[in-house]
Amino acid sequence: MSPNSPAIDQIETLFGIGFVAFAIVVLAVNVALIYFLRRRRAARGAQPAESQEGGRPQLRVGAGLSAFAVAIFVLGLVFTEKAREAPATGPAGLQEKDSESLTIKGTGQQWLWRYEYPNGAFSYYKLVVPVDTAIELQLDSTDVIHTWNVPSLAGKRDAVPGKVHEVSFRADEEGSYTGRAATLSGASYAAMGTEVEVVSPEEYESYVKQLDTDIQAAQDTVVDQIESGETP
Amino acid sequence: MSEKRPEIVIDGFPQRRPRWMELATSGNHKDVGRILISGALGFLFIALVELLLMRLQLAIPENTFLSPVNFNRMLSLYGTTAIFLFALPLVFGLFYYLTPLQIGARGTALPRLGQIGLWLWVASATVLYAGFLFTPSEAGINPLAPLSELTFLPNNGVDAWAAATGLATLSFVLLAIDLTTTLRRMRGPGMAWRRLPVFAWATAIGSWLMLVVGPVLLAAITMLLIDRNFDGIFFSDAGGGAPLLWQHLSWIFFTGTYMLVLIAAFGAICEIVPALVGRPLEGRTTVTGSLVAIAVIGTLAWIQNMLTAPIGIAWMYFAMAMALALIVPFGLILYNLIATIAGGTVRMRAPLLFAAGAVSAISVGLAAEISHSMVGLAWKLKNTTDATGATHFALIGGAVFGGFAALYYWFPKMTGRTMGEPLARISFWTMILGTALTFVPLLFSGTYDGQVIDAYKFFGDEGISGYNLIASIGAFVLAIGIVMTLVNAILSRSGGARAGHDPWGGDSLEWFAHSPPEPHNFDVLPDVRSNRPLRDIRAAIAHRTTRAPEQPAHESQPVA
Repeated sequence: MSPNSPAIDQIETLFGIGFVAFAIVVLAVNVALIYFLRRRRAARGAQPAESQEGGRPQLRVGAGLSAFAVAIFVLGLVFTEKAREAPATGPAGLQEKDSESLTIKGTGQQWLWRYEYPNGAFSYYKLVVPVDTAIELQLDSTDVIHTWNVPSLAGKRDAVPGKVHEVSFRADEEGSYTGRAATLSGASYAAMGTEVEVVSPEEYESYVKQLDTDIQAAQDTVVDQIESGETP
Repeated sequence: MSEKRPEIVIDGFPQRRPRWMELATSGNHKDVGRILISGALGFLFIALVELLLMRLQLAIPENTFLSPVNFNRMLSLYGTTAIFLFALPLVFGLFYYLTPLQIGARGTALPRLGQIGLWLWVASATVLYAGFLFTPSEAGINPLAPLSELTFLPNNGVDAWAAATGLATLSFVLLAIDLTTTLRRMRGPGMAWRRLPVFAWATAIGSWLMLVVGPVLLAAITMLLIDRNFDGIFFSDAGGGAPLLWQHLSWIFFTGTYMLVLIAAFGAICEIVPALVGRPLEGRTTVTGSLVAIAVIGTLAWIQNMLTAPIGIAWMYFAMAMALALIVPFGLILYNLIATIAGGTVRMRAPLLFAAGAVSAISVGLAAEISHSMVGLAWKLKNTTDATGATHFALIGGAVFGGFAALYYWFPKMTGRTMGEPLARISFWTMILGTALTFVPLLFSGTYDGQVIDAYKFFGDEGISGYNLIASIGAFVLAIGIVMTLVNAILSRSGGARAGHDPWGGDSLEWFAHSPPEPHNFDVLPDVRSNRPLRDIRAAIAHRTTRAPEQPAHESQPVA
């Protein structure tokens, strides 16, 4: 899973730092535990030492642990803020006149994602976005809680009925990115997924226009059929 | 006392009722505790069966061994059984059995509450598994609203879940009321709070924690039942309710419970380690203070479970601050345990082996869990099998390794017999191997391939088939290891080597009672003069024995 968006870059950096820091602590605890359990065995004739009175070592260890916790907190804060920053549209991206980012609505339902583009066209399962463009995805749900999850492009976000949850991202490379919903949502939860296809701005515009035309045509057909009495 | 005392003359003892009826109607804390502990270990076995069924389904990609609905049922039953029918009753069973003994009490303050608590718990288990007669819950370990609402799961499964967890929580709250009252009112002569053993402190802290978080879940369950059965709107967005309210309330309880299990585990480990390395615990006050801090700070970190939900970023940073603050108390406890070992003489018996395994597994689980509180990381790792692995490392470390350490340590007190050492060693190493094989691959597949939790299947092209196959094999190894200790306990009840009243050389008062203790615990209540009362008693006996030849005459005569 190579990072393909600025937010994922920040999250991966934070992951790297966090992993190393916590791995060192876990290793230190376990090595010390096993070392002393073996070295102080009764068979080796170890004699109990006097307990240390007073709070000096406790204070020192407590201060060290506090410093570690504060450092991790600051790192977490800094990188989370960077990952939250709404990305800017790059030179290769789609330049819109009225707004800075392209706003798309994503609606979770059992067990599909529905995407609605600014021109009113909509699609199920697959989202097509222009490359190098700031996207603001507004998540919502019509039934239960779903988690929108495309790990290569953005962090996870919950779609909760009655609330709009925004997630911003920018895809830096064209391609197709998949992800699976990440909150148990009923029987077919494991089959619920989504695909984000990143294309050039021109392809995006023609895709969205085509989608809109197709939907209009389909709706006209249905209206015609109802009027001519073919469909009840 | 040389003069004759008046005697009470009775016409023989009343006819005793059968043993099972004595047990079922007993208000004695040791009977209630033993039933809770044995029941909890039985449900550990059932939880294992459910885990193995799920791991069988997930052994190969796109498996059809379990249907999606049956998988969700196993998932719901497994989580509920592991928490409400295994971990919590084991913790409260140990609290209830041991704490009155440790504080020099002849019983608990409100024995009827304990009895009601026990039977409510039995009712809870019955209700949960009676769900099999119609349909068990399909809503997962924590049935998040609105999925748990009537619209989406119209069968009775969620109602059975809610009734069962509600009864169990009520039972733990009643036991906690009894325990806090006992600790407040029934401490023996000289047993000041500062002289309380660490495990009795863990009982006090854990019980207070249950008194705070238990009613929160009871309130949430009541609202859920009103929603489902009386057209309520608490968690339904359409009616003007708030789906996220369920998450806040339930996560307060589950986070508190997680901390409660770890507090109990560290309470037991802090008794076992000093006894088996022959040296008092380093930084005793720091350790008890840290346990208090874990209860408060840990529970305040409940939002750590909601970092992908649509809530304000400031709340997320609050959860991150609380979770990271936990590094300090947990770190201090680990430091003091290792410092105790570093100055002691290690007798590597089964309780110490399991205690060390618990510390090791908890350290891995907590590090992973706490690192998930960094908000950015949570967006990557939440609801992946990395979270599954972290939680299982911490809770298997706390409840299974820690619980088994306590079992091996206090089994001689409860039964008068010692559990077999060779089988304990084989069981321990099998369990260590099983835990690593099961949950390390899940940590990897969650971290690097983003495998999502709770899913009944995965696909072959996700690159996680190898991890899942190893995890499934590991689950069987882990189960074999756990079953060996359960078998060991059953065999040792009548076949174990006889233990005296103090097999480990412990410092706390339960080792002053007989093994198993008399119904009234102590014939004589000793005067507690320090936080190591039994060492004082041993020293006094040694003193008297060495002085005996010089003073053959009446001891009561003053020395000239």
